[in-house]
Amino acid sequence: MNTNFANQFLTLLRKEFVIEFRQRYAISGIVLYVISMVFVVYASSIKVGPKEWNVFFWLIVLFAGINAVVKSFVQESGTRQLYYYQLVDPSILISAKIVYNTILLMALTSLAYGSYSVVAGNPVKDPGLFLLVLFLASLGFSIAFTFLSSIAAKASNSATLMAILSFPVILPVLLTLLRLSSVSLRLIQDTAYRKDIINLVAIDVILVALAFVLFPFIWRD
Amino acid sequence: MWWKTTSVILLIYAIVAGLLVPLKPGIDRVSPDSALTGSRLDMQIHGYNTWYSRGNTADIRVWLQYDSLRAVAGTDIRVISDTTLAVSFQLPTTLPDGGESDMLNLIVSHPTDGVSLLPSALEIEADTSASSSAANWTDNPVEKLHVVRDFSYPYRNVIYETIRNTYFHVPMWFALMFMFLVSVVYSIKYLTRPDETSDQKAVAFTETGLLFGLLGLTTGMLWAHYAWGKAWSNDIKQLMTAVALLVYAAYFILRASFDEPEKGARLAAVYNIFAFSSLVPLLYIVPRLFASLHPGATGNPAFGSQDLDNTMRLVFYPSIIGFILLGVWIANIRYRILRIQQLADDQD
Amino acid sequence: MKFFKLVQFLTLILFLIVNLQPLQAQGNRDFMRETGKIYVVTGVILIIFAGIVLYLVRLDKKLTNIEHQLKEGKNE
Repeated sequence: MNTNFANQFLTLLRKEFVIEFRQRYAISGIVLYVISMVFVVYASSIKVGPKEWNVFFWLIVLFAGINAVVKSFVQESGTRQLYYYQLVDPSILISAKIVYNTILLMALTSLAYGSYSVVAGNPVKDPGLFLLVLFLASLGFSIAFTFLSSIAAKASNSATLMAILSFPVILPVLLTLLRLSSVSLRLIQDTAYRKDIINLVAIDVILVALAFVLFPFIWRD
Repeated sequence: MWWKTTSVILLIYAIVAGLLVPLKPGIDRVSPDSALTGSRLDMQIHGYNTWYSRGNTADIRVWLQYDSLRAVAGTDIRVISDTTLAVSFQLPTTLPDGGESDMLNLIVSHPTDGVSLLPSALEIEADTSASSSAANWTDNPVEKLHVVRDFSYPYRNVIYETIRNTYFHVPMWFALMFMFLVSVVYSIKYLTRPDETSDQKAVAFTETGLLFGLLGLTTGMLWAHYAWGKAWSNDIKQLMTAVALLVYAAYFILRASFDEPEKGARLAAVYNIFAFSSLVPLLYIVPRLFASLHPGATGNPAFGSQDLDNTMRLVFYPSIIGFILLGVWIANIRYRILRIQQLADDQD
Repeated sequence: MKFFKLVQFLTLILFLIVNLQPLQAQGNRDFMRETGKIYVVTGVILIIFAGIVLYLVRLDKKLTNIEHQLKEGKNE
């Protein structure tokens, strides 16, 4: 049973990578999106201080994240969904999607961080903390967006609905992230930032638990 | 039926008691509000809601307080009118901690009005050229205050009478949380056993919660305009409430975007549970991270004992219960309308 | 979408209250700030009252629609 679970999970995860690799236009579209956003900041010829750097960076990551994750359920055709439905447990499916999207978002945030540092400089003073924040951001965004995209995919106007549903829900995560990354940029002095990290992890845990419990209800049609 | 009556009685009580009970006497402002060390200061104190001429006026005492141990007592206290008091101070030559300037609190103790305090009333600046004065800081510690017990609300500067808004603006918030909580309970019920009734009740309670949210936000903006100077000052709690309203507006948009009602109801129930759970960090964790203009900011977003005394509790809690019951009543009517709509649609 | 009408109404009321202030201030009298800003409390109570009444009006309209619907159903 246990090995069965692990096998199914790995198969689904591999499948996600294979599909992504086949439909390279989707992922290259997102990459292009990140790079063009970075260049918009550059081309607007504003003097980017650490404070602006922080805000612009998280805006880029947020929009790229939504666009990257929204397709995870929308792109699946109806027949393929029916096929999964008969074969696998919904909790395995959602965990595979979440893990895949976390990896995807980590790659995207690293890319955004890299290209953004080249164009707008790198004011990060505490790289260790900043990388941890990037990881927590990818995890939080991936959980919330994957789950919401599964709801949005059921409606006809899924792209609009995705934006409406996800912005308010992601806001507490985003505000905590902004604060933590301000700490890593030494914009604010805060010795108690560990509490913020714990808060963020706690939010992630709550969201994961909810996703597991609620996903079967979305899935059955 | 009894709870509907209770709601009305509690709300009438909240409005009547909330508006009729007077404020404690307080100090509105003083003139002048700055002085040099070593000088003799003639000050006029302007009271709010005070009756300085009542009682034994020879027994009025005034202090300029530096901290809990150090204070200067006022002399030549004269009552000019019920709301104006003249007093003289002989200020010490140096500041206690040798600084350049500091703020002093003013304390007035009146036999019938009781004790009133104006924090940071006087700005005092060190005058290096001042000739030495006889007065010093520890001569007259603040003691033997007139303690007057009466039924009244605390006096706060700038806020004045609007402290009464605590009974009308703050319960909106409690009612909103209650409505959303009930709505989530019905959503969970709907998911475990799909049934139109639970769904309709969830919708009714969400809508009522949104109504309270809007009212809380609007009344808050009006209050903020006169207490903070701006209707919208991007205070973290204002932002969070606005976002909470967006979450639930999204709930209705989600419902509307499905053609099959059963599917819409199921997904809306799922979203309702998810949104409510994300609302908990939104309302209880995030406000603790940022400075806020609201009372009890940074560390404790709830009311502290500083902001709510026992007299206020006597009106505040009944008001909360009254508004919650009113909300349940409204939601109940909304639910019955939804049900009749359903019956009418089925009949066609 | 009637919900948004409610929002519009509340915003309008607030807009009026807030924006009438400069007019009154020109006459060297700020009505709302007089007698310890007690009129702010009145304003808050009025907003709550108006909000609940507007919601009742909305419910009333819904009921009227249902009544019409039922009447047509009977006539057919």
